[in-house]
Amino acid sequence: MSDKTEREPEIVGFACSYCTFKASEMAGSLRMKYPEKVRVIQVPCSSRVDPAFVIKAIFEGADGVFVSGCHPGDCHFIKGNYYTRRKMAALKEMFKAFSMDGKVKLFWISAAEARRFIEKITNMYNELREEKNAGKKN
Amino acid sequence: MQGKKIDKEKLRVALNRFVEKQNQIVYGYGKNGIFITHKIYTDHVEDLSLFNPYFGINGATFFYRVFSKDIKVVMLLRPCEIRAMIELVKLNQIEPETITMISTDCPGTVSLKKAKADLPDDFLEIQKAAEKDDGGLRWACKFCREKRGVFGDAGIRVQEDGGMWIFPYTDKGSDFLNLIDEELVEYTGKFVILESMKTEPFVTDMDTFHKDFSKCILCKNCRDMCPVCYCVDCLFNGDEYLPKGDAFINKMLRTGTENLPYGKEIFHMIRMYHVSQTCVGCGACEEACPQDIPITKYFKGISERLQNLFSYMSGRDVKETIPYLTFKEDELKDTED
Repeated sequence: MSDKTEREPEIVGFACSYCTFKASEMAGSLRMKYPEKVRVIQVPCSSRVDPAFVIKAIFEGADGVFVSGCHPGDCHFIKGNYYTRRKMAALKEMFKAFSMDGKVKLFWISAAEARRFIEKITNMYNELREEKNAGKKN
Repeated sequence: MQGKKIDKEKLRVALNRFVEKQNQIVYGYGKNGIFITHKIYTDHVEDLSLFNPYFGINGATFFYRVFSKDIKVVMLLRPCEIRAMIELVKLNQIEPETITMISTDCPGTVSLKKAKADLPDDFLEIQKAAEKDDGGLRWACKFCREKRGVFGDAGIRVQEDGGMWIFPYTDKGSDFLNLIDEELVEYTGKFVILESMKTEPFVTDMDTFHKDFSKCILCKNCRDMCPVCYCVDCLFNGDEYLPKGDAFINKMLRTGTENLPYGKEIFHMIRMYHVSQTCVGCGACEEACPQDIPITKYFKGISERLQNLFSYMSGRDVKETIPYLTFKEDELKDTED
């Protein structure tokens, strides 16, 4: 039944309100487009994201999750994203042990990089869509 | 390495000297009916079992939130229990000033759930019994990361002929050693327990995980018995992660889950992540599980993998910081996608 219809992946994103969320707002005002099924959630800092949120999102139906913050060294709270980096590195290692790599991504996107934001998210979306529809074509 | 040669009698005398004073207690193992369990000695040490062939509970579980400064404690426990204590010290759950932790060499243990009664409490006899019929050693003990008593303030190590030595590692340990009537001697011999073998990084997949945990009834015993799962207000106590009632029905309709109880994977995965840097691989979770799920395999495997990422080992040293609570500016460059 659903063999022919293309299935769209759902992506949940946690975006730092000082960098990535600003970039997404800028992308909006520049009329850039990114896939509709990407849901961006604003967090005060990327280190606010407990990996529990990511795990919960994935097991409740999201196909991919990204966590995104300022470039290392540029954190509004001085050192928040260094902690994020450690936490996400460990989480990725854990997903690798469960043979689920690719589901979690970490991006560094500053407030000025609207184009980079669109590129990264579209790439992730396309990857996940290919994975989801693998073997469903012809 | 300088240490003192001891035997059971000398240790008993020293412990009695310590315990006779008011507000000083000894925490170790002792015969309790036909089994050996944890025991607290408040005024007299009579039948202390230095080694314990049974594993029921991790001894650190009783010592959450010990802040009392006027009670002195001497602990004689296994390496995994001392390591859990050290992790709790790092997490500010224990004030370590008045606690002297002494780790003892561990010959491996059998599960208290299925064990025969009246096993011996002598080191070499336990080891002999374990070798004879494979002893039914627990999975966690077969693949133990560190069985040597090299943690805490002092350590009791066993020589190849069964003689025991005690070595101080810190000032508190030296203070305790002063109670023993022996001279400090340089030790150069061999020990029974050697460094454990390194294991391969743990790899599994979601299907196996799902199969193994399909029996789970979500009783949360594994969380309650975990020595390092210490949060007073656990994430899973509320309704957010494991919903009930209307919220539960709504979640069912929204996510399309059909298998109950809802949230098994979420519960175990999140807990696995949360204890990843502090897990000591003692296997208390598996011991507490009423469904005999091989929990330790996953928790120990994942935690060792994640600790290797930061070249960290839980409970190795009080001075080390838990990796999630610190950082280096120049590291993990390839984490970004």
